[in-house]
Amino acid sequence: MEDVQVVAMLVRRCIAGDSAAWEEIVQTYNRRIYNICYRFAGSGDDAEDLTQEVFIKMYRTLSSYDPSKGAFVTWVTTITRNLLVDHFRKTKQDRMTDSIDSTVSEHEDAQPLSEQIQDQSAPPDTHVRHREVSETVHAALAKLSPELREAVILRDLQDMDYREIATVLKVPEGTVKSRINRGRAELGRLLQRTYRQVM
Amino acid sequence: MPEHTNNGMQCNEFDALLTDALDGVLNGTELERFQAHAGSCKACGPLLVEVEAGRNWLKGLTEVEPPANLVANILASTTGVDTQRLRVTARVPQPRVSWLEHVQATISGYLEPIWATVRQPRFAMSFGMAFFALSVGLTVAGVKPADLRQISLRPTAIRHTYYATQARVVHYYENVRVVYELQAAVRRIKRNAEPAEPGRKQNRPGKQINERNDTTQQPEQKQERNYSQTENHLVLASAHVGPCLKSCDLPVVSVTTYRRMV
Repeated sequence: MEDVQVVAMLVRRCIAGDSAAWEEIVQTYNRRIYNICYRFAGSGDDAEDLTQEVFIKMYRTLSSYDPSKGAFVTWVTTITRNLLVDHFRKTKQDRMTDSIDSTVSEHEDAQPLSEQIQDQSAPPDTHVRHREVSETVHAALAKLSPELREAVILRDLQDMDYREIATVLKVPEGTVKSRINRGRAELGRLLQRTYRQVM
Repeated sequence: MPEHTNNGMQCNEFDALLTDALDGVLNGTELERFQAHAGSCKACGPLLVEVEAGRNWLKGLTEVEPPANLVANILASTTGVDTQRLRVTARVPQPRVSWLEHVQATISGYLEPIWATVRQPRFAMSFGMAFFALSVGLTVAGVKPADLRQISLRPTAIRHTYYATQARVVHYYENVRVVYELQAAVRRIKRNAEPAEPGRKQNRPGKQINERNDTTQQPEQKQERNYSQTENHLVLASAHVGPCLKSCDLPVVSVTTYRRMV
């Protein structure tokens, strides 16, 4: 994904105060970080705020990045994951009051997950159906525990290898694989009940 | 996970190979054993189906598009400079602004917060009431807006207006009954207090001395005494003594004259 030498040069320019280099880093990684945040936090607004926080932290700690210890994308993902965990801990109390009938999607007209599960009528448009499916999977993903969620997001949505995920999560590779399996299985069970006919 | 052995493979071994199997990196004998265990184990078979389904659902999720202003917000919050905006403003040629517009923009920059406050309904109502009270007051005082048009702003006219207004105010003030009565009472009190003052002057010798030396005062009675009344000269009226007069007996007139003694 990244050329180590190019990224290292970019980081050095940033540290030297080159704003163009920093803008290049932001342009390169904002999409990836925003998607991780969106899938983990579940809300577009939260994802936007968290993405900004990630870049602020990156900007402040850029000098601590050591290319010899790992890829820049791993370092960036680690910062993102740590902030997401902090965010999860801060908002844990709020989420405990949520019920399954709460609207998880950011769209105002989106139905609660329980209604989405019951509504199996044929959608008029394939695009609309695809959007509904995506929202349902996104809502189901939010039901996973944070440990399982982060593992499947990094593996199946960000295509990171097990070693990188182990570095980011600071757990052994075996644990990473186990979490990925459990996360996928739980998601599969939840969505199997929802889309029994499709499956 | 239960520790069952099917086809030479335990369930925990199956669990460990699950990710590799789904990634397609298992081959040969290991793959055969894995597939055999999945087919025969009642726990691992459904697990494989669920895991595979979950992975497929996740792979079906597409990337979401970040908000359009995300990069600009990030740059603004990190470097403090909105580079995109700067680039846009750098490309667009700035229109020429006259000094009058510049002054207007500067003034409006200061007045805008005040104006924004004034525009609030609660303040607007207060200003409305103040304007109403002012207009009623001016009407009662006899000030007409039409008169304002005829006001001359020449210095002499302004001075004249000032003195005329001052005279009107003093005249009005002195004609107020309460003021008049007060002034009359003060005058009465002063008049009553006046007779006590000459007595006090006689009791002060120093004052008498000063008064004696005061040359601007009227001449004292002593000085008047210099005019002697003691010398009464009898002046006979002389007349041309003719022969007839000599023979006639004329009456003698006594005349008293006052001469000042030098």
